[in-house]
Amino acid sequence: MGLKENLASEPVRRLNLRPAVIVPPDATVRDGVIAMRNAHLGCVVIAGDDHKPIGMFTEGILRQLLAHDPAALDAPIGDRAAHKFPWVSLDDPIQTVLDAMQANNTRFICVVDADGRVCALTGQKGLMEYVAEHFPRQVMVQRVGSPYARQREGA
Amino acid sequence: MNEPKKSGLPDDNFQDPLEDYEPPEYADPVERALGEERVASMRITPYASVGPDTPIGEAIRQMADMHHACLLVSENDRLVGIFTDREIVDQVALEYDDVVERPIRDVMTTDPVYVHGEDTLAAAMCVMAVSGFRHVPVLSEDGRIDGIVSPQRVSEYLHGKTGVL
Repeated sequence: MGLKENLASEPVRRLNLRPAVIVPPDATVRDGVIAMRNAHLGCVVIAGDDHKPIGMFTEGILRQLLAHDPAALDAPIGDRAAHKFPWVSLDDPIQTVLDAMQANNTRFICVVDADGRVCALTGQKGLMEYVAEHFPRQVMVQRVGSPYARQREGA
Repeated sequence: MNEPKKSGLPDDNFQDPLEDYEPPEYADPVERALGEERVASMRITPYASVGPDTPIGEAIRQMADMHHACLLVSENDRLVGIFTDREIVDQVALEYDDVVERPIRDVMTTDPVYVHGEDTLAAAMCVMAVSGFRHVPVLSEDGRIDGIVSPQRVSEYLHGKTGVL
């Protein structure tokens, strides 16, 4: 099958999912940034002990905070996170990731299991890797002697 | 001793390494679009750029005001670096008070990967997948900045090709 059909038929679990980093809502923004930095991720998921997501703190939110209220680094991250954020289930079609990114103008999508608990992250990076699988010759060009062949996590 | 060639024309023994090349055929409409359409055919503007001496704090304020996740850093009309939300997380946020007045050149990523407007969209997306860079500048053949491929523009393009919400 081709890319269009695969996007509609293959499940999110087929993507190269990233482990989600979960922080409690009473952690500070600074704690969240440290977690993002250590995990090479552009976001952290805010969740309680039950691991059900209640918010998402992204590098985009961090940028706005630094520009307008840098003292907020020491505020509780739960107060600064987005509480309306996209999530998909492991068995949703991959197309739902694309739809969610487009509808929410975001790069990060929270993935939840059948019980609604955070189990992974995906988004633009995972989607690009999936698209690239359909163009193996193009990927080979990048990997062999190309200035493109540099690795950068999370950017 | 062989005489040096006097022109750029191939000699009689020249064998074109691409003479047997068969361009890929795509049965899938999205793959065909990505494999045949050019980067310049998608939305690559507007983009924001600053000089390398711009203070980091000012650069972040510009990004925040424009809601841009990336600034291209240029000098004499040439791309010299890129400054994104990733640099903010990795090098600025926790050190903010110490670095806010420093020039962006101190923390930007130098020699960023880039594509040309004539590259295929598939090539651009493979660059993103392999390099891990989410923002990829688009340069003209003479090295001037034409635009940027951003995650939002990629998802906008793909979404337009694969269906509607």
